[in-house]
Amino acid sequence: MGVTRRTFIRTFTTGLALGATGALTGCAASMRGDFMPKAGKRVVVIGGGWGGATAAKYVRLGDPSIDVVMLEPNKQFISCPFSNLVLSGLRSLDSLTMGYDGLRKQGVKIVHAEAGAIEPDTKRVRVGEGYLQYDRLIVSPGIEFQWEQVEGLPAAKDRVLHAWKAGPQTVELAKQIQSMADGGVFVLTVPPIAYRCPPGPYERICQVAWYLKQNKPKSKVIVLDANQNIVSKTALFRAAWQAYPNIEYRPSSKIVKVDVGTREVATEIGDKVKYDVLNLIPPQRAGSIAVQSDLVGVDKRWCEVDHVTYESAKAKDVHVIGDSTIGLPVPKSGNIANAMGKISASAVVALLNGRPAPQMPPGNTCYSWVSDREAIAVVNSYRIASGKVVQIEQKLTPAQAVSVAQNAVGWAQSIWADVLS
Amino acid sequence: MSRRLLMCAGFAIGVSVAAPAAAGPLDHPGYPKAFSCSACHGFAGNSRSDAMPILAGQHAGYLKKALQDYAGGKRPSAEMEPYAKMAIELGVDDVASYFASQTRMPTASAIDRAAAERGKAASAVCAACHGPTGKGDAAKDMPDITGQPVGFLKNQLLLFKADKRSPGDAALMQPKAIIKGLPDDTLADLAAYYASQR
Ligand SMILES: Cc1cc2nc3c(=O)[nH]c(=O)nc-3n(C[C@H](O)[C@H](O)[C@H](O)COP(=O)(O)OP(=O)(O)OC[C@H]3O[C@@H](n4cnc5c(N)ncnc54)[C@H](O)[C@@H]3O)c2cc1C
Ligand code: HEC
Ligand code: HEC
Repeated sequence: MGVTRRTFIRTFTTGLALGATGALTGCAASMRGDFMPKAGKRVVVIGGGWGGATAAKYVRLGDPSIDVVMLEPNKQFISCPFSNLVLSGLRSLDSLTMGYDGLRKQGVKIVHAEAGAIEPDTKRVRVGEGYLQYDRLIVSPGIEFQWEQVEGLPAAKDRVLHAWKAGPQTVELAKQIQSMADGGVFVLTVPPIAYRCPPGPYERICQVAWYLKQNKPKSKVIVLDANQNIVSKTALFRAAWQAYPNIEYRPSSKIVKVDVGTREVATEIGDKVKYDVLNLIPPQRAGSIAVQSDLVGVDKRWCEVDHVTYESAKAKDVHVIGDSTIGLPVPKSGNIANAMGKISASAVVALLNGRPAPQMPPGNTCYSWVSDREAIAVVNSYRIASGKVVQIEQKLTPAQAVSVAQNAVGWAQSIWADVLS
Repeated sequence: MSRRLLMCAGFAIGVSVAAPAAAGPLDHPGYPKAFSCSACHGFAGNSRSDAMPILAGQHAGYLKKALQDYAGGKRPSAEMEPYAKMAIELGVDDVASYFASQTRMPTASAIDRAAAERGKAASAVCAACHGPTGKGDAAKDMPDITGQPVGFLKNQLLLFKADKRSPGDAALMQPKAIIKGLPDDTLADLAAYYASQR
């Protein structure tokens, strides 16, 4: 078939406008050299999660003349927020799965491939056998697990579920809970801080305990928490757990070993606990690309950034946002990642246009479902003082309530749209 | 050259678009102070959810009053108090003018037509203050309640009825007395009516 160059370009660009991705994905296999040469200003975004997708969208909104390319291996976005409700059967994973067409409509070019390495000196991101050039790079790769911190885990990591990145593991864990015998023991381990979503494990405990109370009244939930106490919304979770006598909470119980043969975990202080279903949430660090590209600090775990621009303390023109960051007094939450996406986008647009970055302090709300109908929330607002983010106020909802759960649904609907459409 | 590679090459040429940067939705001086509100109130304050109020197109004076009431704890809301304090610290006039200057997109939540009709019939007592269709009055800090989500309106009416919104506020005794005299079903109808108004 004799496709001339010009007719081909026209066909292809139309396909792109319609949101066709097949062609782009196809390219991933044969990406060599400078596979999308840069013309004009370009921002490359690594990761299409809460931080990255927001940043990509808002750079386009802030300056539509900037070419935005987002790298994300997954074809769809799956929300971690609300995914604990999949474990209690109150939500389907489908209801938390969303497409990227909204971003394409904003003119974001999405390449469904993984970034292999960042080269700040040449301003290139390696992808497959090729590379992309950028003027500024925004990195939001989320978290990676420190498997090696738990003996026996590296070899068993496909069988021991974390369900801490919403997806197939969430569905699999829900199945295991459903098929557990009445009287069975569900063990959940909470990693030491800092980890993704401080209240997340405790919300999960509520959801599993609620489900078991309804469906398997002889079963119990044993919580092995590496921390000395419930990390977030402590009093509100304690109050919620009054309704769940099936929860056995053990603080200062960091787990150091798992044996999938004997179905047993061991804690640092020498306790051994048998399980029927295990949910081991491993210790965490920044997404692998941030570690491999040496964006992490001396702790080799998290990335330090400027509190106004989110530019990396270690690499020029590279901005890091979301769960991978540290040093700000903010939690690792989707809400914060969304805020950082917008802030970094404004900074990048300003800097690429020769203006100073505006001062934009973030805000955060974390809702947690404590039953099938009630929720609690913690709200934080911040200011910027002498170039650093500091808290203005933290406030908790006075008690668990149906009205808070309604607001949680409102938050989710609004913020999903803010990230993706 | 394989078809795949051709496509890549075609794409690379297809990307060289350079549109001039026109004033966009992020250029308002209030945007850097109000950007975090969209997590709940939607992009540019046009909430698409049933629980969260739309801020777009609301009278600036009323927005400012509401934020001051939340910050001072007069209108209790765990969610709003920290954000209101933040807005005041960053510049409440810019925040209020940002949302007031956005075009309101009426609620996307479903409205029961029959309920809205009944609500219309019951709305005469409200019109004295809220105007014939609910547009309010900018000069009197009377909110525009048209096109707000049904869930939000109903919730606020129930809060008025139980004296949980700005409890004990002398300035609101009159509307609260009227609302207290109405059954919950009528309040739901009124919510549907004002949600349906444009
Ligand atoms: C059970 C649970 C419940 C939660 N509930 C809440 C809640 O109610 N509210 C809240 O605010 N937060 C909640 N969170 C936290 C929230 O999910 C995270 O804080 C948020 O996802 C962080 O955003 P991120 O952009 O940093 O990372 P992610 O959203 O994880 O996005 C990272 C993306 O980067 C991609 N990626 C990684 N490496 C590469 C690479 N090399 N190249 C290209 N792409 C790459 C990944 O595929 C991924 O899509 C919850 C988390 C969990 C686990
Ligand atoms: C976590 C969710 C959340 C965030 C973020 C949030 N709000 Fe709100 N807002 C609410 C809720 C819930 C209400 C209704 C509270 C009530 O019952 O009075 C509300 C109400 C309001 C109202 C009153 C509306 C009316 O018609 O009476 C204003 C004004 C407002 N918010 C402004 C803001 C501003 C400005 C910001 C950002 C600085 C913000 N909000 C951020 C949840 C939020
Ligand atoms: C006497 C005047 C008056 C009457 C009558 C009155 N209202 Fe109001 N209404 C007000 C004022 C003033 C406010 C703003 C309160 C504040 O500042 O917090 C208000 C607020 C509201 C709100 C909240 C809007 C928002 O955005 O938060 C709703 C909803 C409402 N009124 C509905 C009604 C309905 C329905 C009726 C009739 C049954 C009614 N009102 C009758 C004066 C009145």
